[in-house]
Amino acid sequence: MRAHSPSAAVTERWTPVAATPSPVRLSLPARARNIAVVRRALEAIAEELALPRRLVEDMRVAVTEACTNVVRHAYTGDEADDQSALRVELRPQPRGMLVVVEDRGRGLAPSPAGGGPGLGLPLMAALTEDLEITHGEGQKGSRVAMSFAPVIEAA
Amino acid sequence: MTDAAAGPNGSPGTTRVSIASGPLVGPVLRRVVGMLAARADLPLDRLDDAVLVADLIASRAPAHVAAASVDVDLETGDRTLFLRVGPLRPGGGDALIVDAAVPGVGNVIEQLADDISVQPEGESEYLHVRLAYPA
Repeated sequence: MRAHSPSAAVTERWTPVAATPSPVRLSLPARARNIAVVRRALEAIAEELALPRRLVEDMRVAVTEACTNVVRHAYTGDEADDQSALRVELRPQPRGMLVVVEDRGRGLAPSPAGGGPGLGLPLMAALTEDLEITHGEGQKGSRVAMSFAPVIEAA
Repeated sequence: MTDAAAGPNGSPGTTRVSIASGPLVGPVLRRVVGMLAARADLPLDRLDDAVLVADLIASRAPAHVAAASVDVDLETGDRTLFLRVGPLRPGGGDALIVDAAVPGVGNVIEQLADDISVQPEGESEYLHVRLAYPA
């Protein structure tokens, strides 16, 4: 789905890791303070995989946006405090990373308080190599799967 | 080992990190623990202690977990960080603590934690660790 991702263009030397490590999963209350926890985990994996800095910046923005959508739109009231309200899977790939952000609430539906996802989805689409959004039965919950890989610019 | 430590048990506010045994356990766990220790307002020396405990758990726990991943529940309190490691295989909790001994230094987790305990749950067991800074 990736349309264009100039900031992920590889200008640094980068060699894919020989063996792809297994995934990391996080389950957290869907609260704004926990987005930083997801970002920390993402940064740790990116560092371990020696992913290009520009790609990591794109991942950080897109993953933050996906998690922010869950925090802002998926739940009302105390539902957000459930330990598995926000679930994130960080799955290293031979070329980059697959990140899945899931909720069990209203998904990406506009909040009753007003305001929808806005620029978030186009932004995520622009920064990812592939973006897949699915909803649970009856629009209950959402699953945002984002594939990231460095863009190799032709010489 | 002291009395049973209070700790996360799936209650609201708990963060669960599940890391497949392998090279990511250490880097991910130390970052998440460091972040939550800072959120708990632990002073710098206790934050360092928490990260050191995380490093030891990351390096020793894969040999004692009941499944293929290292699962840690984390919860913050007032200048307190709780960790719950597991499920561990039967006997894995005590074995993990023993493994954390460093020659010439002793058992680092026992020395740094305010409370440490092993609690059975079903057919598995969990290591509970509490790090705090007195008000």
